[in-house]
Amino acid sequence: MTELTESGVLEAVRGDQRTTLTESEAKDLLDEAGLAVPRGRTARSSDDAVKAADEIGYPVVAKVASPSVQHKSGWGDGVGVNVNLEGPDAVRSAAAEILEAAEREGIDAAVLVEEAVDLEAGLEVIVGGTRDPSFGPTVLVGLGGITVEVLQDTSHRLAPISTAEAVAMTEDLEASPLFDGYRGSPAVDREAVAEAIVTVGDLLDEHEAIREIEVNPLLARSDDAVALDALVSLED
Amino acid sequence: MSVTNLFDPSGIAVVGASDTPGKIGYEAMRNAIEFDGPVYPVNPSASGTVFGREFVPSVTEIDGDVDLALICVPAQVVPDVVAECSEADIGAAIIFAGGFSEAGPEGQELQDRLVAAAEEGGVSLLGPNTSGFLEPSRDLYATFASDIEGIPAGNLAIIAQSGGLAYAVAFQAENAGVGISAMVGLGNRATVGFREAIDYFDGDERTDAILLHVEGTDRGRELLEACRESETPVVAYNVGEQDVGDFAESHTGALTGEHELYEAGFAQYGVPTVRSSPELLDAGKALADCPEPDGPNVGIVTAQAGPGIAITDRLKAAGATLPSLTEETQAVVEEILPGITFSANPVDTGRPMPEFGEVVAAVARDDNVDIVLVYELYEGSVGYPTDVLEGVVDEVDKPIVFASGGPEAILDEELAELEELRIPTYRAPERAADAVGALVRYAKRNRNPDAVAAEEVNADD
Repeated sequence: MTELTESGVLEAVRGDQRTTLTESEAKDLLDEAGLAVPRGRTARSSDDAVKAADEIGYPVVAKVASPSVQHKSGWGDGVGVNVNLEGPDAVRSAAAEILEAAEREGIDAAVLVEEAVDLEAGLEVIVGGTRDPSFGPTVLVGLGGITVEVLQDTSHRLAPISTAEAVAMTEDLEASPLFDGYRGSPAVDREAVAEAIVTVGDLLDEHEAIREIEVNPLLARSDDAVALDALVSLED
Repeated sequence: MSVTNLFDPSGIAVVGASDTPGKIGYEAMRNAIEFDGPVYPVNPSASGTVFGREFVPSVTEIDGDVDLALICVPAQVVPDVVAECSEADIGAAIIFAGGFSEAGPEGQELQDRLVAAAEEGGVSLLGPNTSGFLEPSRDLYATFASDIEGIPAGNLAIIAQSGGLAYAVAFQAENAGVGISAMVGLGNRATVGFREAIDYFDGDERTDAILLHVEGTDRGRELLEACRESETPVVAYNVGEQDVGDFAESHTGALTGEHELYEAGFAQYGVPTVRSSPELLDAGKALADCPEPDGPNVGIVTAQAGPGIAITDRLKAAGATLPSLTEETQAVVEEILPGITFSANPVDTGRPMPEFGEVVAAVARDDNVDIVLVYELYEGSVGYPTDVLEGVVDEVDKPIVFASGGPEAILDEELAELEELRIPTYRAPERAADAVGALVRYAKRNRNPDAVAAEEVNADD
């Protein structure tokens, strides 16, 4: 990971006249703020991607990393996101496809190589925060996937909030019992989810430049919660 | 900008006053003259008198003490009239006309001009697009609505974003025989908004609870802070379920609706919320009349099982705790009524009986209980325990809330006697339960404010 401070990340993006952080920048920001993120780094070439994967250990994930690409999975005929790469050859070819597609589209892109995370080992949660024109910083939590989109099972607070209040948010959810384990799945770390909510709220509270943060999914596991994807946008 | 000129005027000018019944300038004048202070009709194109008062051509030519203008002229000329008010040293004005920020870009431009004139001239504005306000105890009717004299004086201040909703609540109060200290329709909130109105009525000695109606404001955080700072209890009715937006960009933006933020914000800042205007009034009555509850522990005494169960069900959903009664209380209850149907909490006496009041008093004196809720159908041979409960509210310094059912004429008379003992009464079990729910939420805020709130208070020390 880079050694940038929270403000450093934001200033760098600002300097580029951008209002959206790349996934890698967003994760740097969250990492600096204390959230767990998968180990990983960006690579500029196929060889470098393999080198990164070797350092991280297999399996890995390789994703397109570019300020021009927001919806990675739909980009470049589906070559933007490659999961569960078991060895150097798979990494090399995935990285090559990403870089070739970027060249075809004429955009500046790199490859983000990250340790693969076992989704089965946890509960996918969405944690977000937005700066409301009337209320200022706000945060939300919900379960990932269908529960948030169809049932709108979310809990909201005005930020900043305490960890206790953030735990109460997770308890507000209809899906709250899932945090405690179900059908043999282990209980997940509710406190770690709460800490992630607090962190998102604090980031919005402390940095007026940030308009919105979305960690989706945040994978809640038995003893931690890790941000698998993140979107951060800045005020225009 | 002070709002004292607005809500506590010494003299009133009615600008655009008219002697033609049905015109706003006539209706406002007819209401204004009830006030015990000078009232001046202002109209450059009228002569003679209206309601026995001589027309004055301009506010600048009034010979007397005026600090509030009721502006009954069309929207386009309102900014100029406000500038004249400033010249005449009139510190507050009510703008009844619509056609401002609620009416598109042109209206917004007009409102911007109006605000500029008001700020430059130091004039507090209620409205535009409002029905005004009234304070029955002082016969102060700064409004154009008719048939409002019957709204009784009391201790509830209604502060509504919508002038129409303000009257909807005020007339429900009148119908229910509940008195109000003030009713205010904020309208477009050009300069006087929630913060200013809440601050003023918090300091008003006639007001014991503030009833808010909120549709939406671009100063949400400030509204919540005003509620939290108010020593007078505030209860809020927020209208407008969210529209769920498009998920294309991010979920966070789409899922964060105004309604969610109001509900979350009111809860975080310790403001009970309600889902309807009747509930607003019911909750306000309990908050205003009862001693401040120390906690969320409710002791229920019922003479009939069914209503008691309905009440219990609803209270639990509202976050109330139903504590066990102390052994002492249980012994007292057993002694009063041996073999009582159910002497835990709820206490169910099975039917009204002469000793019912003693049971209520025993539960009220229980140290585990912060709030008492009583249900008893009216039974002629027994009546209500008014005599026994006299002085109990002050003695235990806890809310006692009473619900009943019976013939209207009897309830009108008999429940009024309980109300005089600072025991608010309701005529449906669920309405009493909802009112107690508001007391419970208010008590939780006082006992256990959110950690953030606590930190801020400490920082202020």
